[in-house]
Amino acid sequence: MAQSSESPFARRALNLVRLGFNELTVPVLAVVTALVVGGLVMLVAGGDPLLAYLGLWEGAFGDAKAISETFVWATPYIFAGLAVALAFKGGLFNIGAEGQLAMGAVVAAWIGYALPGVLKIELPAFIHIPLAVLGGAFAGGIWGAIPGWLKAKTGAHEVINTIMMNYIILLIASFLLNGPMKDPNPLNVIARTPSIAESARVPRLLPDLRVHWGFVFALGVVVLVWWLLYKTTVGFEIRTVGTNPNAGQYAGMNVAWITVLTMGLSGALAGLAGTIEVTALNYRHELSFSLGYGFDAITVALLGKTHPVGVALAAILMGAMRNGATRMQFLTQVPVDIVSVIQSLILLFVAADVIVRFLFRIRTPKQGDAMMTRGWS
Amino acid sequence: MRKLFMLVALLLVVAGVACTAAPTPAPTAAPPTKAPAAPAFRVGLVTDVGKIDDKSFNQSTWEGVQKASKEIPGVTEIKYIETTDPKDYDKNIAQFADAKYDVIVTVGFALTDATYAAAKKYPSTKFVGIDQFLSKDKDHPDWPLSNLVGVTFDEDKAGYLAGALAAQLSKTGTIGAVLGTDVVPPVWRFGEGYRAGAKAINPNINIVVVYHSDVGFDKTFTDPEWGKTTALSQIDKKADVVFGAGGKTGNGALLGAAEKKVFCIGVDTDQYLTVPEAKGCLVSSAMKLLTPSTFNMIKAAKDGAFKGGLYTGPVGLAPYHDLDAQVPAAVKTKIQELDKGLQDGTIKTNVAPAKP
Amino acid sequence: MSLPRFAFILLTVGAIIATAVVIGGAQLPAALILVSMIRTTLQVATPLTLGALSGVYCERAGVVNIAIEGMMLLSAFFGFVASIYTNQAIAGTEITPTSTALSLIVGVTVAILIGGLSGAFHAALSVTFRVNQIISGTVINILAIGLTGYLNRQLFFQGQVPHAPGVLPTIHIPVLADLPVFGKIFEQQLIAITAIVLVVLTHFVLFHTPWGLRTRAVGEHPRAADTVGINVFKMRYANTIIGGMIAGLAGAYFTLESVPSFEPLMTNGRGFISLAAMIFGGWTPFGAWAASLVFGAAQALQINAQGFGIPVPSQFVGMLPYILTMIALTGIVGKTSAPAADGIAYEKTGG
Repeated sequence: MAQSSESPFARRALNLVRLGFNELTVPVLAVVTALVVGGLVMLVAGGDPLLAYLGLWEGAFGDAKAISETFVWATPYIFAGLAVALAFKGGLFNIGAEGQLAMGAVVAAWIGYALPGVLKIELPAFIHIPLAVLGGAFAGGIWGAIPGWLKAKTGAHEVINTIMMNYIILLIASFLLNGPMKDPNPLNVIARTPSIAESARVPRLLPDLRVHWGFVFALGVVVLVWWLLYKTTVGFEIRTVGTNPNAGQYAGMNVAWITVLTMGLSGALAGLAGTIEVTALNYRHELSFSLGYGFDAITVALLGKTHPVGVALAAILMGAMRNGATRMQFLTQVPVDIVSVIQSLILLFVAADVIVRFLFRIRTPKQGDAMMTRGWS
Repeated sequence: MRKLFMLVALLLVVAGVACTAAPTPAPTAAPPTKAPAAPAFRVGLVTDVGKIDDKSFNQSTWEGVQKASKEIPGVTEIKYIETTDPKDYDKNIAQFADAKYDVIVTVGFALTDATYAAAKKYPSTKFVGIDQFLSKDKDHPDWPLSNLVGVTFDEDKAGYLAGALAAQLSKTGTIGAVLGTDVVPPVWRFGEGYRAGAKAINPNINIVVVYHSDVGFDKTFTDPEWGKTTALSQIDKKADVVFGAGGKTGNGALLGAAEKKVFCIGVDTDQYLTVPEAKGCLVSSAMKLLTPSTFNMIKAAKDGAFKGGLYTGPVGLAPYHDLDAQVPAAVKTKIQELDKGLQDGTIKTNVAPAKP
Repeated sequence: MSLPRFAFILLTVGAIIATAVVIGGAQLPAALILVSMIRTTLQVATPLTLGALSGVYCERAGVVNIAIEGMMLLSAFFGFVASIYTNQAIAGTEITPTSTALSLIVGVTVAILIGGLSGAFHAALSVTFRVNQIISGTVINILAIGLTGYLNRQLFFQGQVPHAPGVLPTIHIPVLADLPVFGKIFEQQLIAITAIVLVVLTHFVLFHTPWGLRTRAVGEHPRAADTVGINVFKMRYANTIIGGMIAGLAGAYFTLESVPSFEPLMTNGRGFISLAAMIFGGWTPFGAWAASLVFGAAQALQINAQGFGIPVPSQFVGMLPYILTMIALTGIVGKTSAPAADGIAYEKTGG
């Protein structure tokens, strides 16, 4: 019985593997094509693509420290990528992950350094850490839910509102970190908060490496989001409203509520990206800490085909590229901007998979879920 | 369907081979210049979250490193790494330190803690921290370290001289300044020094100081369009001297002044040489001499004369160049007087080291 | 565009300018502040107006253009590169009046062409390949940042950089520029004037020509347009390319009109602001222009308030236009809506 490949379990497993391969084909080929085209750009503009890619590889996976740093980089990408992907599933385009993660970081930092003093109590780590993490997620969720609510209530498009709210939170954070929340140490000249309390710090996984439990937590959230989307009623409602809000309406779903909820959850996930950076890595919030996770997250979500597991893989790839970039520059002095070029090419080839399918003669599959074909309204 | 499956499988095999093949050369490739014959002397530079070609502090410091490689015999290799995210500071410094570079220059106050930590971890490597002020406190308990020098500049003094010059040259009684974000302490010191210097000459002068604090760090120094618009707005309101200080944003202000034919004052280096388009209006520049300071530190390290601690780099006004004839002799004398007073400490700018 | 919305926008501009006059009144004559505010407002609004017009063309034809930012950046870079190398080819290291004029003409032309090219790329992705239009735009935005940053480094960091030939000339509009006090408002550079001309022109084209009618038909109801014989694909391509060219002109503003130099990221999000201005202005040329003025006036106020030493943190003044845009989007002041088929790829049935 064990060797029989006819057993339903084995067949199911095989199907799953095959499905996985099928799903992976286009993204993998897109990445390969992007690397080739990026290499050509380097050749034309003066640079050694082979040495550059070797550096990129070494910097990302060359040794234990490199891998640890790749996971450190990947962690915010996983959260932010999940945020954008979840919104996509609900038929919404969340360009505001950047702002939501800033919101999460500000609040988590405040809970981390100020809350014990305000409450005049010592908080044990098993309370303080979850408090900071959930507080940050909640704040991000609020910042995401506002454009969701505006969309449900007035029809105002979430793309514009999330862009506007990115600018607004950037300015609020700039004001707070230069004013009320600035580290009061007289020698401090940087726009940053004080260090968060020891009790609010997420511990590291291994003694000498920076990879932390936040990464494991991120992987857990990947499973959680998968479960939410595919195994719960709410997830079913989100996906239904995402593909066809009218159908959702007829089925008696509260479309407005689902819209707010989707954006709120999306914002909370993005908020976690900022929160984990504060509580597990930097131990404080600094103004220049995020220079575009929220935007890179769009690439991550699409490369991962908006599936939570795909997002996790894409996030690790993205983290590897950003992490490996400095090793690449150390070896070749190639400008790090090349990573952005490659990133845009990946996005191009994933989004316009017609090109990849044409290049590699892959048949177009039957119509999948028609994600994101709606416009402003 | 099957064909597709095969293709993917093949691809994964190829990728797998590539993956297993790639790391093997890594250990040997890690020190790229392992020629023990000639004693190599190598210098690495790590930027702040900014680019090496920022026409501002990163670039000026890098020019000091380049000067060292040209003029000091034995400096065999120079390289830089541009930081894209603050969490990479340690890692980027370690790239050079692990490869046994002799001198590592880190640029910007944001790298203070990372540089201090690296100096402790790699005691045989010399570290130069530009714009980094350290003191013995709970974050830096072992300060001073023998292999770390923190280089700072009294930008307020240079700004003071610029302000004094502007106040004396102004005929309208209004002078302007266009700066990067006041969150960056050196920028703040330039701006407030300018204010103090102008007030010292003429307490009733109208000084319009505008910082570009309304955008993120990645934008505040790279916005020449804003710089120019702001300068023009000040000139519209009768400002007849404009001080442009803040990377390319400040350069935009210089170009605005050049277009409207009013005096302008540059920053950091002698901008007569770096912004040729502004030659017609550029009366001087408030210099902080990053390039020679960096060069001197590297030279000291090469000659074995490197001393840890704090080093205050020289500041001052650049020559008047083409506009020499338009600066009255009395003004020149006054500026010399002030410069002397600032240097011997008889004149104080009373500018806080950072925005309170 | 509804009249209440238009009136609201213009009143906002007026209110912002008036605020500056009031808070600065103790230090400077009111007329001086007024003229300065208007000049700064117009200057800041120039690239925003052009960017917003770019959006109007694209979206009226049913193509969402979030790539205005990237198009501006690409055009700013390539226009600048073209101008300095043209100058070098003509006059070597010298800068002569002829070489300046010629290289600026070449630079602006190249900027417009690059804009048109990126418009064509956007159209190819979103019209032909039916890629989601926001994703297609994001591709262009990221590509622009990476490509211009990378090439800028490789071309200009090491070695001798050719001299920039200067910027476009300032035009004194006859009669108006000779007015006392307010005359200064009518001394404007070429692209700034062109922007306003284009606002009027776009309004005329969209609402008073057959081309405009067809464009709007394609954006509102492509199926119906198709049945009456309008080539939906062609109209969408054409308008996206025109939109790209106008975004290209906005790019030229940065490196050929404002300052004679290129810096990575120098558009600094103004393309996204343009997009907001276009929506704020209800997808109409005049509305987009007025909304651009709001953003311009807010920045002018910010610059002035700091100069007057007003203790309000500049961040809060900076926030104003974003909040106003969000309020405008809620439809409290005059409801407007996007073209019905905006953002939806068109597919011929049975094809």
